Amino acid sequence: MRKVGLILVALLFGLFGIYGISAEKITLIVASGSKTSPSYAVLAKQAERYMQMHPNIEIKIQEMPWSSTLQHDMYATWLSGQLPYPDILRLDIIWPPEFASAGWVIPLDEYIEAAGIDLSDFLPGPINGVTWQGKIYAIPYFTDAGLLYYRKDLLEKYGFEPPETFQDLKEQALYIMEKEGIPNGFVWQGDAYEGLTCDFLEFLWGNGGDVLDAQGNVVIDSPEAVEALEIMVDYIKSGVSPEGVTTYKEEDARNVFQRGDAIFMRNWPYAWKKLNAPDSPVAGKVGVKPMVHGPGKKSAATLGGWNLAINAYSRHPKEAFDFIMYLTSPENMKELAIEAGLSPTRASLYKNPQVLAANPFWKYFYDVLLGARPRPVHPRYPEISNVIFTEVHRALTGEITPAQAIKNMADRIRQIVGGGGG
Amino acid sequence: MFRGTLTASQRRLAFGLVLPALFVILFINIYPLFQSFILSLQEYNAKFPAQRHYVWFGNYLKLFRDPEYLAALRTTFFFTFVSVALELFLGLGAALIMNRPFFGRGLVRAAVLIPWAIPTVISARMWEWMYNDQFGVINDILMHLHLIPEPIPWLGRPGVALWAIIIADVWKTMPFMALLLLAGLQVIPEELYEAAVIDGAGTFKRFWYVTLPLLRPAILVSLIFRTIDAFRVFDVVFVLTGGASGTKTLVVLNREVFFSFLNYGYGSAISVTIFAFIFLISLAYIKGFGRKWRLIE
Repeated sequence: MRKVGLILVALLFGLFGIYGISAEKITLIVASGSKTSPSYAVLAKQAERYMQMHPNIEIKIQEMPWSSTLQHDMYATWLSGQLPYPDILRLDIIWPPEFASAGWVIPLDEYIEAAGIDLSDFLPGPINGVTWQGKIYAIPYFTDAGLLYYRKDLLEKYGFEPPETFQDLKEQALYIMEKEGIPNGFVWQGDAYEGLTCDFLEFLWGNGGDVLDAQGNVVIDSPEAVEALEIMVDYIKSGVSPEGVTTYKEEDARNVFQRGDAIFMRNWPYAWKKLNAPDSPVAGKVGVKPMVHGPGKKSAATLGGWNLAINAYSRHPKEAFDFIMYLTSPENMKELAIEAGLSPTRASLYKNPQVLAANPFWKYFYDVLLGARPRPVHPRYPEISNVIFTEVHRALTGEITPAQAIKNMADRIRQIVGGGGG
Repeated sequence: MFRGTLTASQRRLAFGLVLPALFVILFINIYPLFQSFILSLQEYNAKFPAQRHYVWFGNYLKLFRDPEYLAALRTTFFFTFVSVALELFLGLGAALIMNRPFFGRGLVRAAVLIPWAIPTVISARMWEWMYNDQFGVINDILMHLHLIPEPIPWLGRPGVALWAIIIADVWKTMPFMALLLLAGLQVIPEELYEAAVIDGAGTFKRFWYVTLPLLRPAILVSLIFRTIDAFRVFDVVFVLTGGASGTKTLVVLNREVFFSFLNYGYGSAISVTIFAFIFLISLAYIKGFGRKWRLIE
């Protein structure tokens, strides 16, 4: 009996040790991208500095997987189990409505007011993305928007201006492919996952269509939407895009483009640094511009980006908020932009000469960012997106016609938005 | 039958000794199963905890009208049937070869296990690269042999993608089947073959009337294992296509509904049906084949 007692005492001490009740230091666990992602080293450095300024706080970094979908599913598992850590979560721009309505993250308005923080320097798109029913649930950390990369050298060689419309891109691609013997014209993200939803939305918006209107009604069953999907299918059928594009994610597309095996690529800003690395075959030969669009329509970019939020079950929300504001301060965001190449969410940094020297193309990128559009804002967005990429993928692989795919999308999204389907 | 020989205190002791094991089973097996079943009777989405309520068998009724679920069901049955049949056929062939004495047999028996030893996620990534349309070795070889005019995106074509996954799965799990069958072959007494030879039986007759009947227990065990495993297939599909191009199996769909949509009620209903299917498959094997093959008297 005495032995059992001893073991129990030892166990209890062990537990207290783990939960830090006996320790006088406060431990904050902050989620980050994977160790190989560019932001990890910068975060580690900034956490180190913060700990020196605040000796009572210990910051631990929790590495998360590369894929946004996998991160989402891990958070969902932890938070529905009411786990108090990580204290600081990194939310993809599409999650705040979902996490807020589940009660997994806390509104930050009170903290912002109490600390007298001015958010007017932050870009409007990301701030909209982290706002749900009038409250702010996260602070934008870095942002993203879809871009069109093109082979500057080849376009100049054949006297082409960078393409404006879907048709321009097709004609230029087919012409240069033929002349140069390049196997692919245009590569993008066609695998059935979140990336395809982003790409499709740029075709859809760039052709004047939309998924939901301002009142939240489903308006995707429009002729513009069918036409947008027909253009994507036609890119594959006419050989502008390889048939295998339906298996590509970001890195697959970049690999093809970086080898010099494609003339155009749709991708996020991160690709710029890799394309222009010293060992890249296309270094210095690449231009960027906003995505192509329909005749007489406006180019559209899908808004991406990551935001810092506080776990609703965290034991130290006040300390967590302070660290979030430290990470998103102008100086630290500048460091993140210069060293990791991640686009800041503060407008003022796009005029900063040091930032622009490190990322020259951001001069053009700023306008793309200002016009970038959020994906449908809805707590059931993951289901909506799943319907979009599943049906688009079916059309791309020729299983169903574009018109049928759009009709399926409309029916299924209406069910989701209307509360049907569980 | 021990009842008469045990005293009351011995019986209590025996019960006491079994009790912890029963508790463990109850806690880690029965309770989660029961919990899933209870959840499957509710409309419960973790995003809207306030709207949680009982719908009784509503989720199940919806399942059999849900085209996504029915498609996944068809895909799963097709995958299970084709991959297990191929594995049995190829595994039996490999086992028969490995059962004969030849130079370096020990090495071959060890080497054959390599695909089985590699974690599926890693071997699936390997296959993903081999299937790649631009850099993949499979397209490269076929192009050099002039068998195909241009590279094929093996994982991006509906109809082709499922077969590509089946091949990757057969490559991985065939060795497991082969080894189980090899163990079965090794316990068949040599005398039976000698007797068959004296009776004038040829190679085929010896296989059909001696090897096969005596191998039945091993075949049944490996079929049960592999069928259940194949029915629950997840990792190889998740890595290769994520369920795209008509390859979404039940477990892939289940994960999506559960963890991406956080629809715990509907997701649990899918889980319960997967459990029911596996239960029925096992029952069919044991009742059907078991009795016919005299495994159960």
